[in-house]
Amino acid sequence: MDRRHFLKLAALAGAGLSVPGGIGQLAEAAEQASRPDLTVVRGGSPDQLARSAIEAMGGIRKFISRGDIVVIKPNIGWDRTPEQAGNTNPEVVATVVKLCFEAGAKKVKVFDRPVNDPRRCYVQSGIAPAVKALGAEADYMDERKFKDMAINGQALKSWPLYTEIFEADKVINIPIAKHHGLAKLTLSMKNWMGVMGGSRRQIHQKLDESLVDLSMKIKPTLTILDAVRILTANGPQGGSLADVKRLDTLVAGFDPVAIDSYGATLFGMKGSDLGYVALGHRLGLGQMDLSRLVIRKISV
Amino acid sequence: MKNAIRFFKVQNVRRAVQAAFLLLFLFLFIQTESKGSDELGYPVRLFLDFDPLILVTTLLSAHAVAKAFALSLVTIMITVVLGRVFCGWVCPLGTLNNLVGSIRPRRPAVTYAPWYRVKYYLLIGTLASALFSLQPAGIMDPLSLLIRSFSVSVYPLFNYTVRSVFDTIFRIDPLGLASLTEPVYSVLKKTVLSFEQASYRQGVFIGMVFFTVLGLNLVEKRFWCKYLCPLGAFLGLLSRRSLLKRTVSEGCTSCGACAAVCQGNASPEAKERWRDAECMVCRNCDDICPQNAVSFGFSPRRKAAGLDLGRRRVIGSALSGIAAVPLLRAVPLVKTGAQDPLLLRPPGSLEEKEFLKRCVRCGECMKVCTTNGLQPTLLEAGVEGIWSPLLVPRIGYCEYRCTLCGQVCPTGAIKKLKLEEKIKVRIGLAMIDKGRCLPWAHARPCIVCEEVCPTSKKAIWFESAKVRDRQGKPLMVKQPYVDLELCIGCGICEAKCPVLGRPAISVTSVGESRSRENQLLIPGTEAGY
Repeated sequence: MDRRHFLKLAALAGAGLSVPGGIGQLAEAAEQASRPDLTVVRGGSPDQLARSAIEAMGGIRKFISRGDIVVIKPNIGWDRTPEQAGNTNPEVVATVVKLCFEAGAKKVKVFDRPVNDPRRCYVQSGIAPAVKALGAEADYMDERKFKDMAINGQALKSWPLYTEIFEADKVINIPIAKHHGLAKLTLSMKNWMGVMGGSRRQIHQKLDESLVDLSMKIKPTLTILDAVRILTANGPQGGSLADVKRLDTLVAGFDPVAIDSYGATLFGMKGSDLGYVALGHRLGLGQMDLSRLVIRKISV
Repeated sequence: MKNAIRFFKVQNVRRAVQAAFLLLFLFLFIQTESKGSDELGYPVRLFLDFDPLILVTTLLSAHAVAKAFALSLVTIMITVVLGRVFCGWVCPLGTLNNLVGSIRPRRPAVTYAPWYRVKYYLLIGTLASALFSLQPAGIMDPLSLLIRSFSVSVYPLFNYTVRSVFDTIFRIDPLGLASLTEPVYSVLKKTVLSFEQASYRQGVFIGMVFFTVLGLNLVEKRFWCKYLCPLGAFLGLLSRRSLLKRTVSEGCTSCGACAAVCQGNASPEAKERWRDAECMVCRNCDDICPQNAVSFGFSPRRKAAGLDLGRRRVIGSALSGIAAVPLLRAVPLVKTGAQDPLLLRPPGSLEEKEFLKRCVRCGECMKVCTTNGLQPTLLEAGVEGIWSPLLVPRIGYCEYRCTLCGQVCPTGAIKKLKLEEKIKVRIGLAMIDKGRCLPWAHARPCIVCEEVCPTSKKAIWFESAKVRDRQGKPLMVKQPYVDLELCIGCGICEAKCPVLGRPAISVTSVGESRSRENQLLIPGTEAGY
């Protein structure tokens, strides 16, 4: 390389770095155009499903940077075993933990505020043992870390929420798709009840509004809806294997309304059948009209 | 040679052994807590399994053999061979009495020595009432007393203290002290503290009894062991023919040094006229004897004062024990429908009469209960049933897939159930108070009870109903119903009902599986599975 060539290159590189965003921004825009709104992967092991869903959404390095503190929020609400489909599939959670560490995450925290005894839920769900083996933290939620936070929503003005969700660099929501008596279905938006402190059972009195309020407040980096097994009746905790349907499916995306709207179709419903999806759409939280979304379907 | 023997003090060995057993006891006690698995992984009721008083009394009262029958035979055999070593070397309550008694610097001038007979009268009364089907042993059995007091009172108190100290430092954070205390706190949480702060209804009462027992050591060291303990009396009777004997040689100058250190008030200075049944084999007399005239060894000779309890007093104790049976039983509680409707027994509990014949009030079930819902009764089950377990759903419901209370029960008062059995056992039935329920009375959506109902299919179901608010505006709510054939009375609906104060859904004992009489439905229709 001669001197002139070198100077030219250096000048170019300098210019590239000094323009805000520079080339990187262009690349980002190009990539976003090709990135789907939703990815639906079907027909593989939970591990394969999780890997290909994340890959299709741009790869784990798109979401997780070196040194990040990552919170993963599965549903660990019930004292049920994985085949009963009361909680998020432990293998899906474990694979996401693994990928986060591969992308250089400094710390991965996995937690939920269960309805049943936390110890039994963490262990019987299979989630705590699986993620601890990978080096993630699966601590029980600590009463001290709930802080009253302003929400200023339709139903919730303020509520004690778990601070670790807001202190984390990245948050990945991994709910499971289940039947629910009051809400009809519990999907991604309802999963945030697990970071509410206080007497959260009261929000049933204005459930749709409350769920939209929560989703306005908590913005995850990525959401992966677990439909490896779905619970079609006697939810949200189930118990009978007769109510469990194996779909071997994951739905990944960023827009909670879009994800829950697609999730409804897994149960033969429409997004607009769910009060909180319709309300979320109306208030601009997201898009429930699936025809307006770029949905990429992958068979593993 | 003599000096070499004096150099070795039995006392030091005994203290080490006592400390080891106390630590083992505390370790097993702390392990009596769910870690999330279906089983605990430790034999947490081990000390109770070695308790022959529980064995004998349940054998008499219920004609049933306590679960770990063989283990308490070991205690009996050891006592027959070595004397009351259990009292002197093993019993964790004895060790605690020893420790507290050490606070008092000098031996009191007056001892209550003649009171040693009281424990035998208590034992005789206990055995006599057990023969006539009562089970009062647990009230004063030292291991039941200790575990119950620790579970219900001492451990919650300990946890409360530690937690509030660390929480206060965390909140105020004086001089950045919290950065030092928080790591200590997290270690404590993982080791000696309970998962959550537990609390119990009779905590103060049971605690006061326990601290009184400990406090009596300030009146006289090991007051409880010498004068009150029925297990000590039982082992004392067995030890009268023990093979290990204490002998005093000719060298004894009657200096009386041994009398001052005897842990059992056995009058060791009286040589052959001593009270051998009171000896806890602490060997203090051997250690202290300046002439080294005392020795313990296996010898056929038996020289000791007789155990003079007085025939009239013995008969009186036995009659008192027997009289206690009708006294406690002739109460309206035995009438069907007259029981306290809130007397919800743990799942797997035997029929009430059989249950009370076995329950020794050790509090193991209350300690292990994952939700803290199992609480000691006061009078809900009559005086006979005092401190036996009852479920209070508003404090904690019965966790659907948990079977721990039956696993830790030492006497089988609560049967050990397999998971598939347990989820079919009905503790009682839930019923809705339509006057308080939000969708029924107040035109508000709720249905939390249906959400948390664990049976599958759910025992709580709902109907969508059109109601009107005050302005006459129609709205749809889901109104809950209980399916009496499916409800198992676990009480999670009551526990989670957002209507505080008096809940809008609550469980009573009617329909409980263990009772033939306390039923609601036509027999044969109650099995929902």
